[in-house]
Amino acid sequence: MPWTAHLVLAAAVAGVVAARPPCAVAQQEPSSIVIVTGQQATLPVPTLMEGPQATLANNEISDHLFLRLAAIGPELVTSGDRGFQPQLARSWSRRDSLTLVFELDPRARWHDGAPVTARDVTFTLKRAQDRSIAPRLASVTARIARVEAEGDRRVVFRFREVYSEQLYDATFHVPILPAHLLDGLGPSSSAWSAFAGRPVGSGPYRWVRREEGQFIELAANHDFFLGRPGIERVIVRVAVSSDARINLLLAGEADAMDNIPPPTTNLARVEAAPSLRLVPVPSNILGYLLFNQREPGHRDRPHPILADRDVRRALIMALDRDLLIRAVLGPYGHVPFGPVSSQLWIRHGAPRHSRQDQSTARRLLAGRGWVDRNGDGIRENRDGAPLSLRLLVSSSSVARGQMAAIIQEQVRQVGVHVDVVRVEPAVWIERRTSGDFDIDFSSANLDPSPSGLAYSWSCGGPGNVGGYCDPGADSLLQLATASPKADRGLWHSFLRRVEENSPAAFLYAQTFVFAVNRRFREVSIRPVSSWSALWRWPPPGS
Amino acid sequence: MNPVVDALARSWRDPRGRAGAIMLGAIAAGAAVGPIFLPDPLAQPCVLECRNLAPSWAHPFGTDDLSRDILSRVATGGRISLAVATLAVGLSVTLGAAMGLVAGYWGGTVDAGLMRLVDAALAIPRLFLLLLVLAVWDQVPMPVLIVLIGVTGWFGTGRLVRGEALRLREESYVRAAEALGANRRRIIFRHLLPNTAGPLLVAATLGVGDVILLEAGLSFLGLGVPLPTPSWGGMILDAKSLLFTAPWAGIFPGLAIVMTVLSANLFGDALRDAVDPRGA
Amino acid sequence: MTAWLARRITQAVVTFGVAVALMFVLMRLAPGDPLSRMQEDRMMDPAEIAKTRAIFKLDQPIHRQFAAFVKGVLRGDLGLSIEHGLPVNTLLASRIGPTLLLGGATILLNFTLGLWLGVRQAVRRGSREDRTLTALSLAGYATPSFWLGLVLAWLVGIKLHWLPVAGMQSPLLAPDAPWLARAADIGAHLVLPALTLSIVTIAGTMRYQRAALLEVLRLPYIGTARAKGIPERAVIWRHAWRNALFPVITLFGLWLPLLVTGAVFVEMVFAWPGLGSLAAGAALGRDYPLVMGTALLAAGLVVTASLLTDVAYALLDPRVRYT
Repeated sequence: MPWTAHLVLAAAVAGVVAARPPCAVAQQEPSSIVIVTGQQATLPVPTLMEGPQATLANNEISDHLFLRLAAIGPELVTSGDRGFQPQLARSWSRRDSLTLVFELDPRARWHDGAPVTARDVTFTLKRAQDRSIAPRLASVTARIARVEAEGDRRVVFRFREVYSEQLYDATFHVPILPAHLLDGLGPSSSAWSAFAGRPVGSGPYRWVRREEGQFIELAANHDFFLGRPGIERVIVRVAVSSDARINLLLAGEADAMDNIPPPTTNLARVEAAPSLRLVPVPSNILGYLLFNQREPGHRDRPHPILADRDVRRALIMALDRDLLIRAVLGPYGHVPFGPVSSQLWIRHGAPRHSRQDQSTARRLLAGRGWVDRNGDGIRENRDGAPLSLRLLVSSSSVARGQMAAIIQEQVRQVGVHVDVVRVEPAVWIERRTSGDFDIDFSSANLDPSPSGLAYSWSCGGPGNVGGYCDPGADSLLQLATASPKADRGLWHSFLRRVEENSPAAFLYAQTFVFAVNRRFREVSIRPVSSWSALWRWPPPGS
Repeated sequence: MNPVVDALARSWRDPRGRAGAIMLGAIAAGAAVGPIFLPDPLAQPCVLECRNLAPSWAHPFGTDDLSRDILSRVATGGRISLAVATLAVGLSVTLGAAMGLVAGYWGGTVDAGLMRLVDAALAIPRLFLLLLVLAVWDQVPMPVLIVLIGVTGWFGTGRLVRGEALRLREESYVRAAEALGANRRRIIFRHLLPNTAGPLLVAATLGVGDVILLEAGLSFLGLGVPLPTPSWGGMILDAKSLLFTAPWAGIFPGLAIVMTVLSANLFGDALRDAVDPRGA
Repeated sequence: MTAWLARRITQAVVTFGVAVALMFVLMRLAPGDPLSRMQEDRMMDPAEIAKTRAIFKLDQPIHRQFAAFVKGVLRGDLGLSIEHGLPVNTLLASRIGPTLLLGGATILLNFTLGLWLGVRQAVRRGSREDRTLTALSLAGYATPSFWLGLVLAWLVGIKLHWLPVAGMQSPLLAPDAPWLARAADIGAHLVLPALTLSIVTIAGTMRYQRAALLEVLRLPYIGTARAKGIPERAVIWRHAWRNALFPVITLFGLWLPLLVTGAVFVEMVFAWPGLGSLAAGAALGRDYPLVMGTALLAAGLVVTASLLTDVAYALLDPRVRYT
């Protein structure tokens, strides 16, 4: 059929002709970077990123535009006053154990040319601590008692109690807003929409435009007081599907991509492209199997199978977690000791995790009366009830689905039957929060601060949905949090205690893999705020 | 002679019909008997070393990303996919034909009522209806799944058939039959149904492919076949990330679907000619 | 006819209202929580959850929420999207253009090519060409759209570098570039998604057109026309085709709404900023205001398309009685 061939050819030729102009434009613009990401930034403005707007995408754009008093250092140590780098504040010092004093950098300017003053800091902190405006920020900055300006360049923070993360709390959570543009707007967020549509900050890049659902364009702030950015234009492109993101990268229509998602096949494709370089970055993602110690539907009763610590330990022993990681994440992850991501500074020097040991697992189960009594390969208890559990998994993650299939097979080898219940994310969260599961395949985004562990791993923690409780571990956690210095030993004894209790099988601490085009020679990507060092990159090809 | 048996016999005499029937039979037999002789479709013999293997004598269709044998998975998956496809499509096409004929031939209030129901049903995305089911069942049993797909799938067919019936009832031969005092049932079954067989069979053939993929999409919601059990659609969805590293993981279940649709179409074409009252 | 049309429009409005009300209820009854996405991402403070619920009135009884929704719709205000933090109106307005562009291009390609090929097949029924086209179109139909999209993007975009692989416009093209350059840019981005959607849907048009024309070609009046010595081309296009259009019109009515909101996979694979992926994301995230906004649009389209179908029947075949 020659005519069908003609049609295809005609369509293709029309396409080639039409495709020419954008290619030509791309070559004329060497000093720009196109970053492709999965989520759209909607309100990248500090104190507005609350509730559903507290997203990574908003944070990343906000970090190009707005600066903090000080930035967290490359070691990510959140305790003490040492591990931080100057940003808007040139230096800081202590008056006493409850008072921190910041000296602002006199060179700091807003994008409209106005100087950054102490009033901007007090204004921003006042908003951040107002529960009716920013409940999230208000709760994480609750231990700051007062913030006062002393002249134009000095700000004094007073804290309610002595603890190790005062500097972290004062600087990490809230980038500073321009008071001279916003003071008159009143507190309501609707009055802010004009500012949010064209934010003015003090960071290395300034706002240019946004095409809804497509991309955001930023341009270098030539007067940036810490140095002129090397790359003139930053374009953050959105593609919800990771396939589309990888395609853009491979076709050269994007220069960089954050977090290439597992499975390993995605990584292999990007790795094979000669124009691209993979950059591993520690992530805050922790994957674990959470054991429910309470009966689903009856939270007052213990779980008939999983309330038994030996059964939980047997399940952990049955798993080959190293294999799980190699099969799904490749080299980009490790088995953690306790609920610790690869970003948390307390992971250094922690003990090794236990290895797979199926004979111990079998012995533990038999010791608790779980024996295969009818020869079907699955263990039963004395009443003949099978050792059968439901594993709840969110269907949004290919990697977790793959791991669930491997886990199912691994525990079957020690006589445990697991049904994988795969549901869409909204239902998964609902069931997880209400405790309607035997085992939950959890994936948590942890804070860079270890004090956040109390959220899920203490008796009364709001995120403790598995009914785990050990008052001994809780007091260790309190001690470690209150210690005025960065004390790894204390943290490790808490982690050891958690591992002994086995409330969960901690499967993987993931490493993110970024990809960057090789035409960018010197590349540095930071954990926590990935592109915050982008302005220091030299322009491509120089 | 029974008209159904007669039509089937006539389509068997048609070479297209015979080819389609033999291919369908072979696929069904492979799905029914194949798994007995093949390795365990769930076994993961060596997750790291023998995953994503290209087709070979040991694994004629290759292995997937968890080192499972794809041939056994295609065979085992055929049981579920074929069952879901035939039963759900049968149900939706029957419902669509019935509703469409009634609405188109009766006309008036019946027509308006039925078609507004179809409008409303089409206006509400299937997703919403299915989400509701999720609130009732934790794991949906197979028969419920089939009924769900069938009952939520007839609206388009219904409207197509109704459009045909609207036109046909004005045809001279239908008018003649009416004038001769034929009752409505006779007119619908003798005159309208055979003449809408064309679009109906198209709907059925296209429906087979749709439903197999829909079943897989439902597993995203937690409504499909539970995880380790293979199904064609599920295999294709899982193979999405393997498209460029181990294409065989998706190509073989995909080919199975295409073969099923093509043979159903061949058989359907022959069947249509066989039921044509005027003869081909 | 006028009386019938008035009645039919009233019916359409009522159906629309009922469908929208039903969707509102269904969405609230479905399991899952609009705040689930934020809970999945990070740790949540209970005060923050409570405040967010209050902002979006999720803490009120369902009839209050419905009343507020209806009031908003009558004022033309669909509320604020929970996930995007922008007015639903703004979101829909920014997505409708790309959607119509992709849907329009697909319908154009699908129907012009599909009808023509379908007729050709019916006329040369049983020939090798007929069989090949059947096999090809059905294979295209049975191919999942994301698969075809990924393969096309790989082949045409990555290997050959002929066309852009994703998106709707090149972000590097200045917004004040000449309109011809911008139109060419958008056109180049449009080719692959429109082609993908057409290939996976064209079998429907072709099969229905072929089947319908075959039915008509057997009718006695065609034989009469041929006997009268009318040229074959005229018999087919003037006499038979007109009567074989019914199923095709129905199909058009069924697909019009589908192509506007149903191209989820293709929009995702090609990062096309359309309504389909917006609606799917909203439904999965239980972003109620945005779900209802897209649902309103979809329901309106379905009801209008159905109305147009009925009008087209009446125009096409004056004998069709409306009682």
